[in-house]
Amino acid sequence: MATNAVEERELVAAAGAPTPRRRPGSRLKWRNTLIGWSFILPNFVGFTILTLVPVLILFYMSFTNWNVFGVAQWTGVDNYARLVQDGSYHKALLNTLYYAVVHIPLTLAAALGLALLLNRKMRGVAFFRTVAFFPYITSIVAIAVVWNMLFSPEFGPINQFLTALGVDDPPGWTTSATWAMPAVIIVGTWREMGYYMLLLLAGLQTVPAELHEAARMDGASAWQRFLNVTLPCLRPTMFFVTVMLTIGSFKVFDLILVMTNGGPGQSTLVLSQYIWQKGFVENQFGYASAVSVSLFLICIAVTLFQFFWNKKKEA
Amino acid sequence: MKRTTPIAIGATAAVALTLTACGGGADGGAETTADGPVTLTLAGWSLDSTPEFQTLADAYHEANPDVTVDVVEYPAGNDYATAMTADLAAGTAPDVYVLKNLKDFVTYSNGAQLLDVSDVVGELDPATGGLDQYEAEDGKSYAVPYRQDSWVLYYDKDLFAQAGVAEPDGSWTWDDYDQAAQDISAALSGDGVKGTYLHNWQSTVQGFALAQGEDADLLSGDYSYLAPYYERALALQDAGAQVDFGTITTNTLTYQGEFGLQKAAMLPMGTWYTATLIAQQASGEANEFEWGIAPIPQADASTTGTDATPVTFGDPTGLGINPKVDEAKVAAAKDFLAFAAGEEGAQALAEIGITPALTNDAVTETFFALDGVPGDDLSKFAFSTHDTRPENPVATQTAIVQNILNDLHSAVMSGSTAVDAAVEEAGQRVQSEAGLG
Amino acid sequence: MTALETPPTDAPATPVQVLRTEDRRVGPVVGKAVGYVVMTVAALGLLLPFVWMIISSLKTNNQVFTVPVQWIPDPVVWQNYLDIWTRSDMTTWLGNTLLLSVGVTFLQVFTGSFAAYGFARMRFPGRDLLFLVYIGTIAVPWQSYMIPQFVMLSDFGLANTLWSILLLQAFGAFGVFLMKQYFESIPESLNEAARIDGLSEWGIWRRIMLPLSVPAIASLTLLTFVNTWNDYLGPLIYLRSPELWTVQLGLKTFISQYNAEYALIMTGSVLSVLPIAVIFLLGQRYFVEGIATTGVKG
Repeated sequence: MATNAVEERELVAAAGAPTPRRRPGSRLKWRNTLIGWSFILPNFVGFTILTLVPVLILFYMSFTNWNVFGVAQWTGVDNYARLVQDGSYHKALLNTLYYAVVHIPLTLAAALGLALLLNRKMRGVAFFRTVAFFPYITSIVAIAVVWNMLFSPEFGPINQFLTALGVDDPPGWTTSATWAMPAVIIVGTWREMGYYMLLLLAGLQTVPAELHEAARMDGASAWQRFLNVTLPCLRPTMFFVTVMLTIGSFKVFDLILVMTNGGPGQSTLVLSQYIWQKGFVENQFGYASAVSVSLFLICIAVTLFQFFWNKKKEA
Repeated sequence: MKRTTPIAIGATAAVALTLTACGGGADGGAETTADGPVTLTLAGWSLDSTPEFQTLADAYHEANPDVTVDVVEYPAGNDYATAMTADLAAGTAPDVYVLKNLKDFVTYSNGAQLLDVSDVVGELDPATGGLDQYEAEDGKSYAVPYRQDSWVLYYDKDLFAQAGVAEPDGSWTWDDYDQAAQDISAALSGDGVKGTYLHNWQSTVQGFALAQGEDADLLSGDYSYLAPYYERALALQDAGAQVDFGTITTNTLTYQGEFGLQKAAMLPMGTWYTATLIAQQASGEANEFEWGIAPIPQADASTTGTDATPVTFGDPTGLGINPKVDEAKVAAAKDFLAFAAGEEGAQALAEIGITPALTNDAVTETFFALDGVPGDDLSKFAFSTHDTRPENPVATQTAIVQNILNDLHSAVMSGSTAVDAAVEEAGQRVQSEAGLG
Repeated sequence: MTALETPPTDAPATPVQVLRTEDRRVGPVVGKAVGYVVMTVAALGLLLPFVWMIISSLKTNNQVFTVPVQWIPDPVVWQNYLDIWTRSDMTTWLGNTLLLSVGVTFLQVFTGSFAAYGFARMRFPGRDLLFLVYIGTIAVPWQSYMIPQFVMLSDFGLANTLWSILLLQAFGAFGVFLMKQYFESIPESLNEAARIDGLSEWGIWRRIMLPLSVPAIASLTLLTFVNTWNDYLGPLIYLRSPELWTVQLGLKTFISQYNAEYALIMTGSVLSVLPIAVIFLLGQRYFVEGIATTGVKG
């Protein structure tokens, strides 16, 4: 019991909480901590060994000139100093921001629209839900092939359609440095909206029908009911979806790889791909780790912002 | 009931996993004594469709019954390097592994993942192609070449005849090639046939420029040597004599489909395509037509003609030894390398349509005795006579430079950037990112 | 957005609603018809790559990529669907993939929802920080730490076993995060009531939270299953022996260095999509409105 008390004080102190005045409250806290950990522990053990430790190794490697084989030499902040001056890194960073800033709201809107549309009892809803999810399960190679074909500047249906509409000079899409990124964003949104739709669909089930009914009785319009009933109930799910979508967009990798491979030139080079290039192609794993850490910091900054914003809204 | 089902499935899964896990360990024990039977492991890929590894393993075992070579299957393409890097880092890589290209060689030799095999190299025929590419800066050799594909010009004799254009005769410069491509396109455009097909790889332009260009040096930081080759490629593209780059990438065109289905009369490609084309014609995937191999067109007349040696490019494919190999297996592994890169290995490879690094008369004869290989003299000449320069000269910065030049390739061929501007930009990037020039 | 303007007429949640829909039938019928047409067109757009996969699977290799696209295969090569079984270990690949997908999904849902309860309902010091660490790892691209991870698992002797993939994917932060957010949308009053009734926290998790979270469990199950099923890089790094290969890894063997059998790859891709489509079709019925409220009443 003595050790327990010590541990307890440490835990409480670690959390920055004031020293407990009354024993019963502190005992309850201790009990809660114990029970809380008993829930988290099975996952936490696996998580720590398999994910957290390698991630911490990665953080360490970002301060070395590791080439994957053998011993890594400590180089301090050299890698980070190099990042500041690396033109290609800047290019990749800007492209990633471009992708994220456009892709996140687009996908969120599309996924929410789909989820609301398909959260109803109607004939064929199972079919349509499955179809909406299909882009996510279809082989990404097939997706890249078909979309590239649709985007084909000369023979593609999209440009033929645009020409028929009277567009004189339709974009070159994936073969043009200006239009490659919009093309990739369109495909990214098309592919992922079903994925996030599924998560939002699950969240929508928590919206009590009675609340909707009551609001309707009060004469609230569909839009008002959406704003005042659906959205507030959906907040925890929306937080999850926006965080996952944000991180996913900043980490976009395989889609770019199969659609454009970063080209033409460096017009669609993104950070994840740059990490791959530096690590697995050029064997500069230390530097690649530093790029990863920078990507991590960006994601975590945005996530923290969302986290506190969500907390504030909740309160 | 709903609760128990997943648990039951989970339990079944766990049992099955234990069973399969037992079958997983590839590393046999080191059952090796000085003169007892030895088992070597060799990395290969796509074993079903790439018989070269098993062929070498079997041929060696036949000659040395004491040594068994087990081929371990690795993923194909670029994934080979990814998986091999992981295995080498973890110390689980096979005893002997393939170095697909010279970029990989640099990575592994710099990372001390290759055993010194200078003694093996010393005993090989000095005429073996690409032998000197594996010599590191310290003067030691860390791998041996067993296969060397070089780039040649495949042409469709039927389409040439149909268009009434004279076939290549070994005297071609790039001007002759351009002319023929345009003539054929003009004659056969009604049938949807183009004069030539230039695949969308950077090699198809840059490889030739580096091998043939005056003062061309990949590590110089000055890429103006690329300009004339790009201008040529763009001109053919604009004239409609070859499918444009955008169409190739957006429609994922394959060179096998374009040449094999007779949509293009010429195809600059590596000699590996010979075996594929023969197989596809036999299976009906490619049309039946007469074709031939010609030396790749030259920069100027000084290297043309069948009494000169045409300049082309190609990286050797090598074999190296994992330094973590069992002490007792080193001798056997070295002997296997000597076999694979030597006469016997070359014969075994030529029999399955592969271009060995060692191409003497006997090997050429074996190769051209295969069913479906064109028998004309020019094809034999193109196969056996060439000055093959490395596409990826061995240096630490090669991978970085090639990445930058790959960006240049897509920017120029897609028409996004003008040639001169792209060359200039590549020079600057190489300077700042690779510290060259 | 048209969906919002037409009231959800087909949701007879209460008798009142049924009556009301009887009253205004005409408008919605037209709206519904238009809705179906629009959705069918959209569905075709979403299925196009899949349709292309099917068409390509009925071609020869050299016909798969052509200009212009050949939408009707000529000749139709049904043979691919026979060849894939005889020329490859498709059965083994499917078996391994299924095994991994089921195992990973089970572990992820189980440990994830368990941990999520700790994060969502228990208050203890350091909770939010720990949770941020979880999310933080999601933000690190896997390809940048997969080598240290692989070296570690190899040292444990797990490389080249199915255990590696199972362990690797089962304890991710994704499931914890998803379930925690869902648990938070369940009224806390339910827990309080249960506590007063003398239910332990583990009892609450099992008897109250899990049954009320069926939609979240369904989506977590579907997503984890699909992600494991389609994972490529993980098996690529970890599984070397052909008898351990998954479908995605196996299909890549049709690509050799200089040639690729695209028709067979597409045949295999079609075959590999079908099981997940079926599972999805079956699983999506767990998205039923109002489960949480039914729980409150019951």
